[in-house]
This record gives sequence, C-alpha cells and structure tokens, in this order.
Amino acid sequence: MIATFKLMRQVLVHPIDFFHDIQEPGRIKWRDAAVVMLLTYIARMVAILATGYAFETREPYEISFLHEFIWLIVPWLTWSVANWAVSAILEGEGKFKEVFVGSAFAFVPYMVFIVPVTLLTNVIALDEDSIYSFLINLTIVWVAWLLLLKVKIINDFELVKMLWITFLSIVGILIIWFVGILMFGLMNQLINFVVDLFKELNFRR
Amino acid sequence: MKHVFKFRYVVSTAMALLMLLLALPIHTFAATPYTGYTINNLRQDVRSINGYVYEGSIDGYNLASGAFSAPEDVFIAEDGTVFVVDTGNSRIVHLDKNNNVIKIVGDAEGDGMLNEPKGVFVKQDGTIYVADTKNQRIAIFDQDGKFVKAYGKPDNPLLGATFSYSPSKLLVDKRDYMYVVSDGNTQGLLQIDKNGQFRGFYGANHVGFSWKRLIDKLIATDEQKAKLAVVKPLEFSNAVQDNEGFIYTTTLGTETNQLKRLSPVGVDTLNIGERRYGGRFDAGPFSVPSFLDIAVDKDGVITALDLQSSKVYQYDKLGNLLFVFGGLGNQNGLFVTPSALAQSEGGTVYIVDKGRNRVDMFRTTPFADLVHDASRLFVDGRYKEAEGMWNEVLHYNANFDLAYLAIGKSLYKAENYKEAMTYFELARSRGDYSTAFKEYRKEYIRDNFAMICLILIALFVALRYLLPFLWRKAKPLLSARRTAGAGLTKEGVPHDRNV
Repeated sequence: MIATFKLMRQVLVHPIDFFHDIQEPGRIKWRDAAVVMLLTYIARMVAILATGYAFETREPYEISFLHEFIWLIVPWLTWSVANWAVSAILEGEGKFKEVFVGSAFAFVPYMVFIVPVTLLTNVIALDEDSIYSFLINLTIVWVAWLLLLKVKIINDFELVKMLWITFLSIVGILIIWFVGILMFGLMNQLINFVVDLFKELNFRR
Repeated sequence: MKHVFKFRYVVSTAMALLMLLLALPIHTFAATPYTGYTINNLRQDVRSINGYVYEGSIDGYNLASGAFSAPEDVFIAEDGTVFVVDTGNSRIVHLDKNNNVIKIVGDAEGDGMLNEPKGVFVKQDGTIYVADTKNQRIAIFDQDGKFVKAYGKPDNPLLGATFSYSPSKLLVDKRDYMYVVSDGNTQGLLQIDKNGQFRGFYGANHVGFSWKRLIDKLIATDEQKAKLAVVKPLEFSNAVQDNEGFIYTTTLGTETNQLKRLSPVGVDTLNIGERRYGGRFDAGPFSVPSFLDIAVDKDGVITALDLQSSKVYQYDKLGNLLFVFGGLGNQNGLFVTPSALAQSEGGTVYIVDKGRNRVDMFRTTPFADLVHDASRLFVDGRYKEAEGMWNEVLHYNANFDLAYLAIGKSLYKAENYKEAMTYFELARSRGDYSTAFKEYRKEYIRDNFAMICLILIALFVALRYLLPFLWRKAKPLLSARRTAGAGLTKEGVPHDRNV
C-alpha cells in the first residue's frame, strides 16, 4: 500500500522517471492498478457530491454510481487492451502489465486534484466559472499528457509513431466497443431464442 | 312510559341529524373532464389546479339567429359584444353581453352577401371588417351592419403571378392598415391600406439554416435539385394585436416558436432562442402542435388554441406556461374541432367549436385569478407586492415553479440573499441562484472578515512551517523502519531513485 502511494507521488513529480522505472521487473503489481482506479472512482464520486448547486448541471436522479463506474473503468480497460495490442503489433516493447498499470497511474493527477478543484465550485459564482473550467481542463490535459508519455516511454517510440499508435488505439477502442455491443445484442437474441424454444416445447408437452 | 321515552329519543335524534344536515354547507361540484397541469423547470408535466372551467355554450338554437353552422371565428369588440363568424351560414352574428342577438351581418343578396367568411375584426367605432374568404375580398360593414364597400384581391407585381388570395383572418391597426392572413401564403401578413393598395408583407417567417440543405446544394446535380421539394417559410394561421401595438402571430408546422410577438418592424420579441409551445406529447408522439388562434389580454397574458391536442394553452407575458385546459372529446369542456378563441375583458375565454357548431365559454377559477394577479405584478417587476400572492399560490399548489422564482426574486430585491438562494434552488434557476450567491458571499466575507483572515494565516503557518517540521521529525522514523524491514519483506520499492 505504501509502495502504491510512493508510485503515485513519483508519477506526479517525476513522470518520465516513473514510466522508465516501471519497466523494471517487480516494481509494479497488478494490485496497484486496481487501487489507483478505485481511488479515482472514489474521488470522482466525492467530487460529484461536493459540486456546488450552480455548477451541477444534472439532477440527482440522473446520476448513477454504476454508470460513473462503467464510464471510468471501461474506457481504461479498452484503452489498455487496444493500446497494448496495437503497439505490440507495431514493434512496441511494452508488456501488457506495464500498459495496464501505467494507464491507471495516468489518472493520478485527476484523482488528486478533482476534489479540491470541485470544492472551489462552492465559493465561486457562475460568471467566474472560467477559473473552474481552466483548472479542470488542466487536470484533464495532464492526464492525457501522461497517457501519451506512457505510450512513448514504455514502448520506446518516436514522437510521430507515438501519435500514430495513439490514433490507432482510439480506432481500436471504437472497434472493441462496436464488437462488444454487437455481441451483447446477438447474445441477447440467442438467449431469448433458447428461452422461447424451451417455453414452446414446454407448452406443447 | 318506557315507549314514550323511546319515541322521544328517536324523534330528537332524527331532528338533531336533520339540523346537522341543514347546517352543513351544500357541496355541488362537477368534475372537469380534463386534468390541470403545468410544466415545471425540468420540462416535465406536473399536476396543477385547473385555471379554467366550462361555463356554458352558445349554439344559436334558442336565439333569433337560429343555429350556427361550422363557425370559424369569434371576436369580442371593445364594448364587450361578441361577433360570431357563422361560416356555414355565410353571416356574422352579433351578440350582446347576455348572448342575445343584436344584429346579423351579411346581406341576403347584392354586394353585401358573404360567402363562407372565416374572420372578422371590429374597430373601436363599430366598423366591421369581414374576411370574406370564398369571395376573395375584405367586406366592410358599418356599425349598423350596412354594407359599405369591399376590397378585392390586391394587385401588385410583388405578389407574383401565382398568388392566390384567400383571406381568412385580419386585423386593423390605428392607421386603418389591414393585416390580412391569406391561407397558404408563406410570405407573411399582407398589409393593405385604406385605399385597398397592397403595402408590402409584414413579419414573415424565415427559413433557417440547415446542414442538410447545404450539402444537398453542394452535391446534387441540377436535375436532382429540380426534383427536391422547394423549401418555403412557414405560414401564419392567425394574428391579433394588443394595446401596445404588438402583433401576435401563430405559425403552423413547426415545433418551436409557434407563437410570436412581432414589433412594428416585424421582429419577434417574445422568444429568445428556440422555445417550445404547446404540449409535447399531448396529441401523441411526433405530432407537431398547430396553433390556430391566439388572444392577448391587457396584461399581456397569451392564450393560444392548439388544434392537434384541442387544448388551450395560456402563457404569461414572458412565455411561461400558466394553464392548460380543454382537450379532445364530447363532454362539455372538451372540443370536437376547435377553430378559434377570444378573451373578454372579464377574462372569460370563448372557444369556437366548429365540429359541434357552438361557442363554448370558460371562466377562470379563483386560483387562476390569483395567479393572474401575481404574474401581472411579477412581469412588471413589482416582486415585493407579488410575494404574498405567490406564497398563496404555493399554498394551493406547490408544483407551481414560477412562484418559487418570483418569491426568490422578491427576497433578492429585499437583500435577503440566503433565503433567495433557497427559493432559486427550488425553482431550479441556476443563474439566479449564482447571482444571489455572489451577493451572499460578499455579505459573508464582510461580516466574517477577521475570522477568514485568521484562518488564512493559520493555514499558511501550518503549511509553511508546521508540516515541514513534522515531516522532518517523521522521516528518520520511517526510514529506520524501512531499513529494518527491507530484508524481511518484499514491500517497498527497489531501485527507487527518489528515496
């Protein structure tokens, strides 16, 4: 646990070193990724609760803790899979574990800063929202930069290749989602078919 | 003896019960065939108290005029008398305030003979302007119903060769200019001066920008373009004028901004951006409300009739929904095919039901009177005076979101920002909430300036001196533990450059 927090500190303060270091064997664990994502999720939920009235655009009943969880975890998982797959094909050096845990650690700035920034909405008015949106955008850009850094360092890519891989990863994410939704629909049909078949047979017994 | 006692007992009980029955107020009520609702700030329909209830009908059977046939319009003159456009019988029936016939306009023969007129307008001096639709003219009668003259189809190159004239509604302004709604005309209201000269179109709807059209235009060949449906601006179905000279129009075939308040130069001053009028699902999904008529009272309250749902929607001067009533059906209070409406000085709404050949009257409920009074003050910005009334409105109906907003504004004006924030939150008005919050914050900082400064200094000291001090103290302890445990446990980070 202490080690995870030390890693979190390192990714904030020395991100380049961090991504170099995690390639050394034994430095990261699968568990670290789970802890970071869980903490990010908790930070997000706390931030939603702490948002000032004027800044909350959704009604309470429109917010679901399950949806928030899915919208955090699914993009991260699919990004990890797509990014690892694409970079592995295109001569990247990264292992899946590094991609997986590295992506999780990219969320650390968001996890750390989202709550204090959101607390700000309780003391500023709507016409001063540029402060708030600037800080939020800053953390998001930070996260995006860490993700790109991760792609570059872990796989030891050039800048242009890194951007190309990122683009391909995003395409990969969309393909995974498309296939996922397709599979979901087909499975639904299949299950319904089997259930109906069973019902029909039962009815004619 | 015993029997007598028993008898007395029974009689006295019966008497007492009878007295009690007499003492009780007599309840008579008739359920309205429609449920009152209003739209809250989440755009959801919520229950509300009915603002209008059915009062009676005029069908002409027991009048000197005889029964109406497919009436198309009703007009209430300045003096409170009622003109019913009896389209099927090609005449205008003039009724007094007690709904007795004063006169019948439209001659049996000659130039004064009408042919299925659809609209009427009566000037202050009693001159009657009739949109004589099938005769393609505007017929004018004096206050005694005598035919004076008629204006035929206006002749002007601007109108184009294919222009078909079918005047259905009209209004006359102070300059004696006629503003004529011609069925199927998409260029706006026709302005005709008192000499019968066409003076231009007024307030036309515009065709908005559409990406689809742009792409069509870019990629379609000339032949394909020729086959595309021509996009035309939307057509007006009615127009009325209020005391201030604004012309209110109803537009067919659109989901937004069906009601407009046009300034003298024809610019809409009611809608800022897109606004939906009518009920979204009242007539079923994917149906667009088609407003046929509109009435505006002296306070600017807008009452509009929608054919799709056969309901009447009432909005305040700013376009907030106040009441909805009517609907499709055969009971009293519902309509078969409504075609027009008008509002009397006293607030009674007259609705022409073409399908049932009669004119229905609706009176306001005490709740509606209260809301009207309160909203008049609110629209004028007299928030403080309206506050009590809005509280009463909420007492009757806590779903009335407009009341929360109005009370919030009143509290804000009274510099009671904290409570104003509560009411703005109830009204879900984030902008107003934020404005009140800003004032509240100012006030709070002023009141607690010393405390806030103290906390800031304490925070600074804690972060600058106390925390590093504690860190220095704790560091040796931590590192001592790590060196002690390093050999035993796999925890800790090997090769950490930053340790």
